[in-house]
Amino acid sequence: MSMIEFRKVQKYYGKFHALKDIDLEIDKGETVVLIGPSGSGKSTLARSVNGLETIQSGQLIVNGRDIADKKTDINRIRTDVGMVFQHFNLYANKDVLENIMIAPRIVLKMNEDENKKNAMALLDQVGLADKAHNMPSQISGGQAQRVAIARSLAMKPRCMLFDEPTSALDPEMIDDVLGVIKYVTSQSDMTSLIVTHEMGFAQEVANRVIFMDDGQILEDDKTDVFFKNPSNERARQFLSKIISH
Amino acid sequence: MQNWINAYSAMNLRFLFKGLLVTLEISIVSVILSMIFGSILGIVRYTKIPWLSEIVGFIIDIIRNLPLLLIIFFVYFGLPSLGFKPDTIVAAIFAMTVFESMMIAEIIRSGIGAVNRGQLEASRAVGMKYYQAMWHVILPQAYKNMIPALVSQLISLIKDTSLATIIVTPELMQHAQVIYGQNANYIVPMYLALAVLYFIVCYSLSIISRIIDRKMA
Ligand SMILES: Nc1ncnc2c1ncn2[C@@H]1O[C@H](COP(=O)(O)OP(=O)(O)O)[C@@H](O)[C@H]1O
Ligand SMILES: [Mg+2]
Repeated sequence: MSMIEFRKVQKYYGKFHALKDIDLEIDKGETVVLIGPSGSGKSTLARSVNGLETIQSGQLIVNGRDIADKKTDINRIRTDVGMVFQHFNLYANKDVLENIMIAPRIVLKMNEDENKKNAMALLDQVGLADKAHNMPSQISGGQAQRVAIARSLAMKPRCMLFDEPTSALDPEMIDDVLGVIKYVTSQSDMTSLIVTHEMGFAQEVANRVIFMDDGQILEDDKTDVFFKNPSNERARQFLSKIISH
Repeated sequence: MQNWINAYSAMNLRFLFKGLLVTLEISIVSVILSMIFGSILGIVRYTKIPWLSEIVGFIIDIIRNLPLLLIIFFVYFGLPSLGFKPDTIVAAIFAMTVFESMMIAEIIRSGIGAVNRGQLEASRAVGMKYYQAMWHVILPQAYKNMIPALVSQLISLIKDTSLATIIVTPELMQHAQVIYGQNANYIVPMYLALAVLYFIVCYSLSIISRIIDRKMA
């Protein structure tokens, strides 16, 4: 069963063709890493999945519902699809605990006690129970990203999108965040799409790796095949560049 | 000297004070109304609803570029011909609200625009509706950043209520005129009293705003 399915998807920003004829299927429970040079359309692809970007043609089926269909309730889909951003985007006017509790409260109408118990358990999981009452400005980037992950998980999503979750972090904080993401992807029923430049991490967690360039998917392989012997020339060049760093 | 003592007689001071209350009444009611309307218009303007936002923007631009005095005249002398005859205080509130709503709409629009775009995306990504994201996440941050601009707008609103003298609204300035109308020797003492009263009201507002700003920072 597929969780996410792109069928001949085209996305334009004005005249600029950002996603070209994307065909992609991600199964339930799969962890897929998406790589490619800057500007290749990775964010655009990931953000289409939860409707933050609208596509111009083709079909995009998420958890059985067509995103492009006007009758689809996009907010319903978004409760199933969590997203973690490069710059965390914690709500600056709310403390850490409220950041996690607000969406379950107003979107899922979750009972307040259950919500709080759930939020504290998540904070505990990401190792930040003691920061519950800090404001986002009072915690480090690595901590903020772990809170952002907890915030997404509080909605009990079936699918998670990570858009360069560690690219804005100081090196010493990256491992903590990757550790949390690894734990999230290890849950058997969680589907994940991860945009990242952390190749070691990709090799560890990904079932599949996709390489994009210039709005197209140029390579889509099982992880070991991708890293051992990518068939696409540009993918090979990209890998050798990024790994020699 | 005697002039000054007489000018500040208990009766005159009481009369001035009554005028001050009307000034505050006009100010407070206008502020509340124009915060509400200004917020709605500012959000509509920010949200870029086809047609509606452009029309609202056009109206805002027109009204913002008219003298407040003209709006006061229009409300007091013009509206009766359209079948609505406000008394002077209502007319002053009406005119101030129309004018200030437009000023506040622009402040709100740029305040919302200044909130990081990621805040809206993160809110929408968890399934919040647009208005929920606005209400719970975007507006609280926008208002916080806007406090200084809003307070200075509020201060100029209070000062601008003095323009309502022109339609004989019984506010502070008009009451002072009534007093020195009886005795030209009271002119300077009354101007001084006006200066002190407007200053106290407006300056305490800016102090309060500074305290709020520091508390929230
Ligand atoms: N909102 C936008 N408006 C116009 N062009 C955009 C917008 N967002 C992205 N693009 C363009 O689309 C291309 C793909 O962007 P993006 O998906 O962010 O790439 P990546 O995440 O791989 O770096 C880039 O050339 C970028 O300039
Ligand atoms: Mg990107």
